[in-house]
Amino acid sequence: MKRASGMEGKRARWGWVFVAPGLLFFSLFSWYPIVNAFVTSFTNRKLISLKAPKFVGLQNYVRVLSSEDFWNSARATAVFAVGAFVPLLLLSLLFAALIVSLRGWKRPAQMALYSPAVLSSVVAALIWLVVFDPRGLANQALNALFGTPGIDRRWLADATMAQISTIVVYVWKYVGYFTILFVTGMGKIPDAVNEAALIDGAGPFRRFFSITLPLIRPTTVLVSVMILIQCMKTFSTQYLFVQAGAPTGPIEVMTLAIYNTAMRDLAIGRASAMSMLLFAVMLLLSWLQLRASRGGEDAL
Amino acid sequence: MKRIAFALLALAFVAASLSAQAPAVPELKGKTVEITIWTHEDVNRTAIEKRYIDEFTKANPGVKVNYVTYPSAKIKDIVTAGFAAGNGPDIFNLEIFDAYPFLAEGFVAPVDLKAAGYKSYKDIESKYVAGMLAPVVEGGKVYGLPLELTNWALFINKKMFRAAGLDPEKDWPKTWEEVRSVSEKIAKRDGQILLRRGFDFRYPYYLTSVVPMVEQLGGELVSKDGKKVAVGDAAWLKVFEYFRDFGPNGSNLGSPTYTAARKAFDLDKDEIAMSLSGLYQIPRLQAANPAFYDSKEWMVVPFPQWKDAKKVVPNNYYGHYYMVSSQESKLQQQASWALVSYMLSHGEEYLGKVGIVQPTKALMESAAFKAMPYSDVFAKDLAKAHIVYYGASSTKIDALLKEAFESVMLSGVEPAKALEKLRKSMAEALADE
Repeated sequence: MKRASGMEGKRARWGWVFVAPGLLFFSLFSWYPIVNAFVTSFTNRKLISLKAPKFVGLQNYVRVLSSEDFWNSARATAVFAVGAFVPLLLLSLLFAALIVSLRGWKRPAQMALYSPAVLSSVVAALIWLVVFDPRGLANQALNALFGTPGIDRRWLADATMAQISTIVVYVWKYVGYFTILFVTGMGKIPDAVNEAALIDGAGPFRRFFSITLPLIRPTTVLVSVMILIQCMKTFSTQYLFVQAGAPTGPIEVMTLAIYNTAMRDLAIGRASAMSMLLFAVMLLLSWLQLRASRGGEDAL
Repeated sequence: MKRIAFALLALAFVAASLSAQAPAVPELKGKTVEITIWTHEDVNRTAIEKRYIDEFTKANPGVKVNYVTYPSAKIKDIVTAGFAAGNGPDIFNLEIFDAYPFLAEGFVAPVDLKAAGYKSYKDIESKYVAGMLAPVVEGGKVYGLPLELTNWALFINKKMFRAAGLDPEKDWPKTWEEVRSVSEKIAKRDGQILLRRGFDFRYPYYLTSVVPMVEQLGGELVSKDGKKVAVGDAAWLKVFEYFRDFGPNGSNLGSPTYTAARKAFDLDKDEIAMSLSGLYQIPRLQAANPAFYDSKEWMVVPFPQWKDAKKVVPNNYYGHYYMVSSQESKLQQQASWALVSYMLSHGEEYLGKVGIVQPTKALMESAAFKAMPYSDVFAKDLAKAHIVYYGASSTKIDALLKEAFESVMLSGVEPAKALEKLRKSMAEALADE
C-alpha cells in the first residue's frame, strides 16, 4: 500500500486531528456503553451490590425472551413506532411542500413548526398533561367541535387513549424538525426541472408526485430511518404519563421497561440484555430500510 | 383550645431553638471533613435542618456539609444512580421500602455509637417506641435513625359535607362502603367529566394504603412463612372490584390521573372533600391555606374499615430513616452520625414546624405531641397498625401492585386475571432476592 506523502499526507494527518475529538467522544459515550452493556448482559450484575457479578451465559436473554412483560413492551413499542412513524412522515412531507410553495412567510412558518422541538421532552409532556386533563383543552376542543358536551375522552385514563396520547405528543413535538429536513431536501431540487415541467403544463400535484417526491428520495430515506430510530427510543413522554397516573402496561415501551428493570428492579444484567435486543432490532430495521431504498434506486 | 396550646408550644420551640448548642465532636477536632446529605423536598424541614447544620458546623469548624434536596418522586432514582456510580451521598433518607435494598446490600453503615452519643444499640432501642426500629436492626446493630414514622388518616372538609346535605360529625365515613356512598353524594360531574370528587385514593402508594384494605378482609401480601404471595383470593378480588367500581369505568368517582387528592384538599377550592394523609399534612395545610386551616372547617378521622372486616387494620405506617453510607471513610461516618444525631435531637421542633413524628417514647408522651391537632386520631390508629412491607424487592412489589390495580381500574382487566398476574410476578420478584 502506497503511503500518502507531501501535501496529501499532511492533509490526511490534519484530517485525523480534526476528527479525533469526535472519535474520542463517540468512543467514550457510545462505543464504551454499548460494549459495557453487551458484557453486562451476560452477568447477573445488580445495580446496587457490593458483590462481584457472575457470568450467567445467555440466562438473561432466555428470561427476557420468555417474559410476558418483555413481549408487552415490544408490542407497545411497535404500536408507538408505527402509530408515530406514519403521521410524522406524511405530515412533515406535507408541511414541507406547503412551506416550499409559500411565496412569503416561509421563515415564520418554519419557526412555528420547529418551536416544539426546542422544548425538552419533559416540558412538552407536562404541557400535554394539562391539555389532557379531563377538564382540559383536549376535551373542551373536541366537545365543541363535535357538539358532544360532557364527554371525557380519557386521554390518560384509558389503555387505547393513553397510547394515542403519547403518539399525539410525539408527532406534535417532532413534526417541525422533520419538516425542516424535507424543506432542505426540496431546496436542492434545481429550479430548472420544475420550470420545465411547468412549461410542459404539469400541475402542482403532478410536479409534486413526478418530480419532487422522486428527487427527494435520499432525504425521505434519511428522515424515515431517523423517525424509526427515534420512535424506538421514545421514553420521556411515557415515563411522565405513567408518573401522572396513566396505566403502565399499554405504554410501557421498551426503553421504559429497560429503565424499570434497571432502576426499580436493580437488575442491570437483565436490563442490559433488553438494551442489546432493542439495539439489534433497531440496527436490523435501519439496515432493511436502507437496503429497500437502494433496491428501489436500482429499479429506477 | 388544642390549637392555642399548639401555637404556644410552637413559640416555645422558637425560644428553645435560639439557645441551641450543637456538640463539638472530639474525633473531628482539627480535621477537615466534607459530608453530603441527599433528602426529599420539604420546605418546612429544610429550613430547620439548615439551621441545625449551621449550628453543627459552627461547633465543628472542620466539617463542611452539602445539603441537597430532591423531589420525593425522583430521590429514589437519584440515590440509586449515585450508589451505582460509586458516588452516593454520606447521609440519605428514603421511605423504608425503598431504603431497605440499600441496607440489605451492605451500603449502610451501623450507627457509630460514640459519635451519635449512645451507650449501646440497646440504648438506642430503649429510646424509641417498641418495634419502630425493627426494619433497621440487623444482627443486633442499628442501621438508621428515624426521621419520621407516619400513618395516614382521613381528612374531611366539613363545608363540602354540609353543602351535600351531610352532617360531617355524624356522616363521616367509617367503612369503605360509606366512603363510596358519601363520595357519590358529594361528586359533581359535567356529563362524564368529574368536576368535584368526594374522596380519592393516594396513588400510587399501594403497599402503604391498599394492602391494609386487603388485610382487613383477611388477605395477606406475603404469607407469614414467606412461601405464598397475594394470599386470600376473596379479599384481593373484593378490593380489586372496589377499585374497578370506583374508577372511570365504574361510578367515575376518581382516578390516578387527577390532581393528587391531598394537594387539592389543602386548596379548599370545592374540588375534593376527603383525602388520606399523615400528621405532617397539618402544617402543610396551614402553610398552603391559612384561612382554611383557621376556619376549623376540616377534621381528621380514622382510616376506614370494611363493613364486614375480619380484623381492624389501619393504614400501614412507613418510616424515613436517616442512613449513613458505609462506602465513606470512618471519619466521614462519624461526622455523619454525629450530625444526624444532633438534627434528630430536635424531635419537638420537627413535630411543631414540620408535623413529622419521630417515634421516640419521649415525643409520643410529650405535651407537644398531645397538643397537635388530631394527634390522638393518628396515635390511636398507629397503635393498631403495622409497618409497611419492606424487603429487597419491596419497590418492585409496590410497582406490581400499581400495575395490577390500575389495569383493573383503567384498562378493563378482569380482577381475577389481574390477581393471577400479580401473584406470578410477585413470586418471581421474591425468587430473585
